[in-house]
Amino acid sequence: MTADVGTGLIALGAGLAVGLAGLGTGMAEKDVGAAAVGAITENPKMFGKAMVFMVLPETIVIFGLVIAIMAIFVM
Amino acid sequence: MLLPESMSRIVIVGTKSRLDDAIEALYSEKSIHVIDHTTGDDKLSIGAPRPNTSKASERLLKVRGMEKELGVVKHTKTPRVSVEDTRSQINAGNVEDVESQVLKAVDERNDLNQKITELNSRKNTLELLQKLPITMDLYSGYKSLAVLVGTVSTDPTTALQAVDGCECFVSMEKKTGVAAVFVRMSARATALTALTGCGFTEVHVPEETKKVLPAEAIAEIDEEIGHYQQQLDAANLSLEALRSKYAAFLKGTDEELSIEVEKGSVPLRIAVSEYSYIIDAWVPTDKVDRTKADLEQKLGNDVYVEFEETRSRKMMDEEAAEPRFRTPPSKQNNGRITKEFEYATSLVSLPKYQEIDPTILIMIFLPLFFGYMVGDCGYAIPFIIIGAYGLKIAHNKDWRSIATVLFFGGIWAFIFGFFFYGEALGMHFIGMEDGVFSLSHVANGGTSVTWDWILGVTFPSWFSGLLPVVDGGAGIGKLEDISFLLKLAVYIGIVHLMIGHCCGLVNHIIQRGKKDAFFAKGGAIITFIGMVMLCWALTKLLGVTKIGSDLTMPVLYLSIIVLFVGVIINSKTEGFMAIMDLPGIIGNILSYTRLAAIAMSKAGMALAFNYIIFGMIIPRVMVGGIYVADWSNIAMLALAIVMFAFLHLVVWTLAILSGGLHALRLQYVELMTKFYEGNGTEFAPLKENRIKTFFSEKAKVNTKEV
Repeated sequence: MTADVGTGLIALGAGLAVGLAGLGTGMAEKDVGAAAVGAITENPKMFGKAMVFMVLPETIVIFGLVIAIMAIFVM
Repeated sequence: MLLPESMSRIVIVGTKSRLDDAIEALYSEKSIHVIDHTTGDDKLSIGAPRPNTSKASERLLKVRGMEKELGVVKHTKTPRVSVEDTRSQINAGNVEDVESQVLKAVDERNDLNQKITELNSRKNTLELLQKLPITMDLYSGYKSLAVLVGTVSTDPTTALQAVDGCECFVSMEKKTGVAAVFVRMSARATALTALTGCGFTEVHVPEETKKVLPAEAIAEIDEEIGHYQQQLDAANLSLEALRSKYAAFLKGTDEELSIEVEKGSVPLRIAVSEYSYIIDAWVPTDKVDRTKADLEQKLGNDVYVEFEETRSRKMMDEEAAEPRFRTPPSKQNNGRITKEFEYATSLVSLPKYQEIDPTILIMIFLPLFFGYMVGDCGYAIPFIIIGAYGLKIAHNKDWRSIATVLFFGGIWAFIFGFFFYGEALGMHFIGMEDGVFSLSHVANGGTSVTWDWILGVTFPSWFSGLLPVVDGGAGIGKLEDISFLLKLAVYIGIVHLMIGHCCGLVNHIIQRGKKDAFFAKGGAIITFIGMVMLCWALTKLLGVTKIGSDLTMPVLYLSIIVLFVGVIINSKTEGFMAIMDLPGIIGNILSYTRLAAIAMSKAGMALAFNYIIFGMIIPRVMVGGIYVADWSNIAMLALAIVMFAFLHLVVWTLAILSGGLHALRLQYVELMTKFYEGNGTEFAPLKENRIKTFFSEKAKVNTKEV
């Protein structure tokens, strides 16, 4: 399978977009998750609210994924 | 209806002499939410518990104690018992009788346990002494001789040589040992000091008059322990017998007494004067007349029920009310199916009396999004089966809600899988001649596997006609038509968010009126529309979407105007934050691309697994210039089946986690934050919560007659 440099760069860019965005999400969720588990342990009724906060940073990785998909399929 | 049920406030006044009958009547209504009385300057005081309550709570404590001793827990399965039986047994003093039996058996077991523990500790001491060549009678019975026995960490023989008239027996093993020192009473203190230097810890030696070696004494104790152990087993058996005999009685009595205690404590929540009681209560508006008629019929002239108000949804009314009448309770007003989704709403919070209950939106969109993300007939069928089975057997709220999502989500997944994506177990039904996932593509050694290639058949054309087509291929390819799916997800997001914003507007209109609502929520809606238009125009201009349009420039200009107007309106209530919110709108919309992204990730995993199985494990052979699967190798076929089941189970399990969680998140974060406030007070009417007890037919007739 042969591919030109441009294709390779697109693939690299897509990988970086998902990877770095995932890293960012992970760093944000680490703190939120620890606090959320603490809150739920103290009061199980907090589950809904805790989950909302827990998944907020997830949007970042979705942005990364969108950029990656656009890089591969649209460009 | 979208709003919680309408509530009315009533006041019930009656003579104190018939308070017990009144409480019974209130409980039988099952629709009276008592407002707790707070002492104020109205010359009324809080009532005292009914006279029989303390006896009932005493009995309840006894029953709970017995349940704990016998290991009867919440989930212990027992047959239901009739209320009349339970009541007559309680009145006949059966609780006390059973308690004496249980206590006797428990005491016996505890005594035996204690005896065995004591014997074991004696045995431990004797095992230590076993190492010394002394018979048991020599350790005690002296007048002028002190005996010091214990464990040591170093050999004390040298240290004890300085002590006059002292005989020492030592047995050392590595770092610990046992020593028995016989010393004149006068030299005891000196010997003890010397021993302490060797890490001496004294051990109590049991007195023994017979001349026996420790080993013989151990044998005797073993025999004794065996004897007691037998008795203990018998005691445990008798406890077990008591448990199976009285479990149903205990559970029934527990429930009956709990209800009795609860009823007896009702006066603590209401106001009383010397001769009368006054109860403030919320009742669903449509039940006010019935409640009034029922109470008057049951209590005759001894009760007076007055209708006070039907609370409107205006916040103004709530703010103007007296503090304890301020918040009416919320009773969610949902149909049978929607009710199953109430748990999802309750995980966030109960809706306020004045706002739209989001349960119905969750019921529509949660399974829909789940189905869109899973979108596969093969995975959908187990979801439907497990969901239906779960709904049939589960009673627990958590499990029921999971089963509901699986069932309805499974149905949507099947619909999407069959009519939209056209695939099962990650493989398309049809590989068309053109397009990316064509039959020839598979036959030429490509990675996507299709059902028609595996089965070696060509599906009829009406079948492929059922499936939608984007860029070739029958059905939407989760991996091939990803940009179409992304766009669709964004459009779904716009609709979903718009519904959220509209609910917010409606809530505000209900609570504060149109003008207030326009300034509070109208700005957000206008900004949202403007942003959507702007993004549409920009994507056209930047060439992300290739087809240009004459509308692009007008829409762009219009969008900027709309955005400007929206921000101006918003800034009236939110100030500078109105501008900060703008990127958030794009964020919210793009968040829905997860619908496509998760569908794609599932398809990607399934594609890889299918390629492992059909491309690597089952050999492909070239027949007439194209590749076909070679089914002849039985061993490989067996391996392929096992791998197929296992790998697809992985995808399936992940589908529950990611599909379910992300579908839920879109409801909680994107939809509900647009309008939902929550923090409602639960509607908790007075009613008997009977699970283990029931009224027999005779009793039912009686209660009607009362």
